Amino acid sequence: MAFEIPKTKYTGKIREVTLGKGDKAITVGGETSYPFYLFEGEMPHLPHIAMEVWDCPPGEWPEAALEPFAGVTDDPVAWAKKCINDYGAEMIALQLISTDPNGLDRGADEATEVVKKVADAIDVPLIVWGTANQEKDIEVLRKVAEACQGKNLIIGPVEEGDYKKIGASAIGYQHTVAASTPIDINLAKQLNILLGNLGVTDELIIMDPTVSGIGYGIEYAYSVMERMRMAGLTQEDEKLQFPIICNIAKEVWKTKELHLADDELNMGNAKKRGILMEAMSAMALLLAGGDVVIMRHPEAIKLVREMIAELTA
Amino acid sequence: MTKDSIKEKRKVHFTPDNVDIIVEEGDNLLEAAIASGVHINASCGGAGVCGTCKVLIKQGQVESTRTEKVSNQEYDQGVRQACQSRIITDLVVDIPVESRLETAVLDRERVGGIQPLEALATGWRFNPPLSKLYVELPPPTLKDNISDLSRLLRGLKKRYNLRNISVDFDIVRKLPQMLRDSDWKVTATTLVTTTKPDKRWTKLINIEPGDTRGKHYSLAFDIGTTGVRGQLLDLNRGKVRAAGLDYNGQISYGEDVISRIAYCQKPGGLRKLQQAIVATINGIISKLLAESKVKVKDIAHIVVAGNTTMVQLFLGLEPKYIRLAPYTPTVNTVPLVRASSLGLKLAKHVYVYALPSVASYVGADIVAGIVGAGVYQREKLTLYMDIGTNGEIVIGNSSWMVTASCSAGPAFEGGGIKHGMIATNGAIEDFSINPSNFEPVINTIGGIKPKGICGSGLINIVAGLLEAGVISQNGKFNTNLPTKRARKGRDGYEYVLAWAPETQIGKDIVITEVDIDNLIRAKAALYAGCRTLTKSVNISCSDLEQVIIAGAFGSHIDIEKSIIIGLLPDIPRDRFIFIGNGSLLGARLTSFSRDLLDDARRVANMMTNFELSVNVDFMNNYTASLFLPHPNAEDFPSVYQRLSKLQKLKA
Repeated sequence: MAFEIPKTKYTGKIREVTLGKGDKAITVGGETSYPFYLFEGEMPHLPHIAMEVWDCPPGEWPEAALEPFAGVTDDPVAWAKKCINDYGAEMIALQLISTDPNGLDRGADEATEVVKKVADAIDVPLIVWGTANQEKDIEVLRKVAEACQGKNLIIGPVEEGDYKKIGASAIGYQHTVAASTPIDINLAKQLNILLGNLGVTDELIIMDPTVSGIGYGIEYAYSVMERMRMAGLTQEDEKLQFPIICNIAKEVWKTKELHLADDELNMGNAKKRGILMEAMSAMALLLAGGDVVIMRHPEAIKLVREMIAELTA
Repeated sequence: MTKDSIKEKRKVHFTPDNVDIIVEEGDNLLEAAIASGVHINASCGGAGVCGTCKVLIKQGQVESTRTEKVSNQEYDQGVRQACQSRIITDLVVDIPVESRLETAVLDRERVGGIQPLEALATGWRFNPPLSKLYVELPPPTLKDNISDLSRLLRGLKKRYNLRNISVDFDIVRKLPQMLRDSDWKVTATTLVTTTKPDKRWTKLINIEPGDTRGKHYSLAFDIGTTGVRGQLLDLNRGKVRAAGLDYNGQISYGEDVISRIAYCQKPGGLRKLQQAIVATINGIISKLLAESKVKVKDIAHIVVAGNTTMVQLFLGLEPKYIRLAPYTPTVNTVPLVRASSLGLKLAKHVYVYALPSVASYVGADIVAGIVGAGVYQREKLTLYMDIGTNGEIVIGNSSWMVTASCSAGPAFEGGGIKHGMIATNGAIEDFSINPSNFEPVINTIGGIKPKGICGSGLINIVAGLLEAGVISQNGKFNTNLPTKRARKGRDGYEYVLAWAPETQIGKDIVITEVDIDNLIRAKAALYAGCRTLTKSVNISCSDLEQVIIAGAFGSHIDIEKSIIIGLLPDIPRDRFIFIGNGSLLGARLTSFSRDLLDDARRVANMMTNFELSVNVDFMNNYTASLFLPHPNAEDFPSVYQRLSKLQKLKA
């Protein structure tokens, strides 16, 4: 008798969620197997990479991360366009760093204006990410939602403490929400139920499990994402059958290791180190079930794209 | 000796009790109150953190550490925390209504027994472990001049076929005079030990002149962390002659097991707690005797059940190691101990039977409950749940049993809740809400103006608020409701159950987001315990053929509401049975039947304890359960159906 590889029996399917509007809209999700287990099921939509743009010049990025964006970091619109035109970005993730009350503390109106400009200038899906300061996010993201009505932005982070207000705006102005919870499968599920009760339809939810980079606890994120997929695919847990978004670039590039100079502490070339750390972190998260990863360095992105292509060839 | 070292005497007068006590200057006010017999709430054991022991200084001076528990306004009025106050001058102190402990109402609960709950455990013979045996002995002659004791034993053997008797020495002392004074007609009291039926031996513990068989009584007690319940039993008729209850006198030293254990670490702490519980039991005994007109000398024995800590404190055993890993109790099967040696005001020959326990946090109360409810006798797969500060769970049937205990916290008994209180007069226990204008209808115990919220009230309130959409499934308030009752208060969002003029305390009675959170944690611990336990034996909740709910609190609990908040599993309602106080039930039955006493030992040995504090799965289940009713809609189908219907109705 011929040997037969035992197969996992899947009973569930990840929901398909469409991000953005128009020709460049992207659909994610739809998996009927664990990530890249194409011998067991389907992955109708490949994972996608969103490129990160900040709404203010980044003060503390390592040289390696700044280099590809020389000349555009003080202009979010130019920065976004560069990502799309020069580096082939399929999605933009605009981080509203400047609104942080502990930082520049820019007001909601000013932030909204920037978002609006970027949104109008590009045609790929736009992710808009606040600072996770709930009071400020409510103020800023609600305004953003209103100003960009109908563009189907992906708005995050939407957390237990602010989901009602931001969620209501997302429903009202037709955007997708990134439901964000602190590395806990139960909390993720609870928030999804709460969003459902609020009236956010299943097609407008993507989950942010909260991730971190290699060396900084990525294994926790990995295992929570893995469990989300197991619950969604093999335990028919409908409230966990959502695509997953991973806001990883920020986490990787702020680590101590990526701020060391060449050969400091025998850690070799700084640029290569940064690119590899980002690419490997992102890849690990894709293997755990990520559908969208927010990344920074074009070369790291290139590596991950190649890897995705190889795994799905 | 210098003048300074002689402390001045001070007189403290407590109202409304009108009790005086003479103390020394500098003494603690809470301790003075306890010493004078005035009951003051002190949930935290005098640590100053709970704020339940607030008193009003009407005259005189105290030196008081100020905490945030006393508001500026209160401070100006003279309100102080008793536990934080040192007595400086003579005082007149008023105990406000919310700091007072009331016992009158506990009587409203059926003390778990006058009802024929024996229906649950079946097949046992009425054969008390204590017997009164009457013998008429032939007076000695020159031909038959064996010793008095041998004569008595020979008589017992002849008449009752009694062998292998051991004899308490005290009997020998009074034997010669008594036999002769009573014309050689005496009644002997014996008890049987609780080893296996074939290895039992009999102990002769008392001897009385004449035939006293008609007067044969015993006592059964459940020593709860909060309340102590006792019954006086007629061992000839197998009936409860009188029932009574009181608060555990240890409450003033701490509301939960852990704070009591902590109190024992203070010098003299263990002795104080032991004396407190003995005083409580003595108090109940004298009430029982008065009510039943039974004489104390006719009480032959006393059976006690309670959680492991309560039993150890009653016996005066150091409870420290219960609290420290690996959580070892001092004793599971307590050897016979004389009641009088513990300070109980009973005849010297009376022994205490303490029912066996399983582990540090699975006590004799659970064993008693399982025996009383007959869980071990049936093949029916049963979940037994004792709901209280320390939730205890047993799953099993006649072949096997697993058990776990999970610390639920005092929310079910009103602890840790802003306006929480024990289920006594004035506690809100029933609640409904009009979903269109959010106006409540409340019912209190005793039908009087509300004073606070008890545990069952809390369950009903949270279920009602959830159904009406005042709170979301995460227990947080919806903030844009068109009602003045949902508002932002000092401790975050809250809902006003009763406006100040409608209450006894002259303040709005509210339920806060923090309270709801505390209840959610409590119910999550119990439900997670159930899930973990069911999973470890590979069954699901729907496999349970019977769910038995016990606990002082369990005697008035709304199943439907409890399911809505996710405390109880969502399975057909006809599988739930309430037995009230299972511990007392078991204590009573074992006093009626030596077979059940054996069974108690067997049950304790049969139970496999799961230590949840080190169980990863439990922690997972616990965080998952911090939601109303639970994020797993498939486990609560009827609740989810109902909630979505209500939501549609509103839309």
